[in-house]
Amino acid sequence: MSRALVLASVVALLMVSSSSVANPGGNGDSDRDYTCGGSCHGDPSMSLPSDGTISISQDGDVFAGHAVAVHVNVAGMSLSSNRLLGTFILGSIDGNSDHPEDHGWHVIQDPNGGSSNYVETVVPSTGSVTLTWVLLAPQETGVHNLFAQTHHGSEPNYEGIAYTGVSRGYSIDVMPVPEGLPGLSSDWTAPAYRTSGNDDPLEIGTVNTTSVSVQWMLEGEWSPHDAEVSSQCQDMEVCNTWEAQLPSTMGDTRIQYQITVLNGSFSMDLPWLTMGTGPAPFEGDIWDARVQSFAFAFLVLSFMVSLQVRLSPWDGKDELDQTQEVIDSEGEAPPPPPGMEEEPEAASEEYLARLVHSEENPGWLWDPVEEEWVADPNFQGGES
Amino acid sequence: MMFGAETFHVAMAEIVVGTMVLATVCAVGCASIRYIPVSEDRRESLMITMDKASIAGASMALFFMPIAILSGNLAADSVVGNALLYNKFVYSGLALGFWAAFVVGRIRMGPGIWEVRNLSLLQSVTAVIAFLMTTMASSIGGKLVRGESLFDVLPIWFPSDSAVVLPIWASAALLVIGLAALLVVFKVGPRAERISLD
Repeated sequence: MSRALVLASVVALLMVSSSSVANPGGNGDSDRDYTCGGSCHGDPSMSLPSDGTISISQDGDVFAGHAVAVHVNVAGMSLSSNRLLGTFILGSIDGNSDHPEDHGWHVIQDPNGGSSNYVETVVPSTGSVTLTWVLLAPQETGVHNLFAQTHHGSEPNYEGIAYTGVSRGYSIDVMPVPEGLPGLSSDWTAPAYRTSGNDDPLEIGTVNTTSVSVQWMLEGEWSPHDAEVSSQCQDMEVCNTWEAQLPSTMGDTRIQYQITVLNGSFSMDLPWLTMGTGPAPFEGDIWDARVQSFAFAFLVLSFMVSLQVRLSPWDGKDELDQTQEVIDSEGEAPPPPPGMEEEPEAASEEYLARLVHSEENPGWLWDPVEEEWVADPNFQGGES
Repeated sequence: MMFGAETFHVAMAEIVVGTMVLATVCAVGCASIRYIPVSEDRRESLMITMDKASIAGASMALFFMPIAILSGNLAADSVVGNALLYNKFVYSGLALGFWAAFVVGRIRMGPGIWEVRNLSLLQSVTAVIAFLMTTMASSIGGKLVRGESLFDVLPIWFPSDSAVVLPIWASAALLVIGLAALLVVFKVGPRAERISLD
């Protein structure tokens, strides 16, 4: 019986561990090659083609080194119970060096506010989702391809099959930059988060810009507000360092903003960008933690040891117990007063009377005062 | 072949957790054996075995715990960037204190500590609290590295998402008070004697 219980417990623990492996929960946003460079989704024996459709589109003309919003729409795929979908934007589908950055692109912002080429998102009940990457186009003009790939599961999925879908190459014609066309600097990346309550101005790096305007709105709002923008250059017509004053946010608020760069007759409305609100930075220091840790260790140790001494039956015995000195000084003890004589037999009978028989434990008696089992003196081979 | 501080830290933490599980189970067994109806001979034999196992496990855990803490320090790269990691330090300190108290009590008072009901109860409670503190520190490690721990499926989870960060002067003052308290307890206060098994 007990062996079966132990075996069942071990099996239960193993089942708990197997149901909590990481992959059905995704692996988080990051920079990844096609099929993560060799995941279950790319293994032919463990994967199947996705039943969803993938389409890619872009906003407006694309100039070399300038920002463009690339939209990836994914629809109609089966999903696992958590409805998680992993989506890549790739410059090639070779299995290595597939990141758009390897092909001259630069990720300004991914759909989750970061700057990764692989993002995970929960698909709404409509079964369709559109994800937008804001990229800087390659400096080299001509036709460049972008691919989109998806990873997902299905429900039910008894064999643990990993599903993967990949789009055809989407061709983008990168045109030469008209002289003086303003845009974003190639070394500028939109910040994913600002700490809660932080109202420091947003720094923006540009090229060929004489003027910048910024509009912002909180996620869910429809009408944008104008932000105050200041130049960080003095007495220069073209300035490429700007600061926009966006209001501070708190909680899980996300703020969207659109930068418009100008230079003479050129006016470029750049794609809307998103910035989340992060928690305030942790203020603890490693030395605070070390000192606090050892302080607690010493305090706990001293408290527990003093408690042990306090509960010990020999606590201060030699110093406090004067019984022997009293006996020695008084000689023979006087007889007890009339009516206070000891009754040894009665005490023994009283002790035996309080013991309780137990049918479950023959040969043993329960002492309710001392709360312990004692051997039954009258027990003889099965009957007391 | 070299390996990183993180790997060494995990190995040390696993030794600590394994030995302390043994120590805790045996300590609770020692404290509760008087309530189990077994023959006197068998009870004595069980008590001797569990007592030795508990003190051996706790001593080993106490020996390896500072190594685990130091390797964790190295793995943290001298940066505490969040409340979880800060609390890992705090829970490690608490676990160290409780385990040290368990070992000190058993060594000073001998195996007779299990014969005195209050002390036996205190000793087993100390082991259980030390077990919880150590497990919590280990689980925070799992949370930091893998984002999940066994505590996620258990109904127990001590506060760890936010930390009470004391200023360094307050922590230093507590450290001095702790050292002074240790001095008083071990050098000035009444001494605990070994409890006879008669």
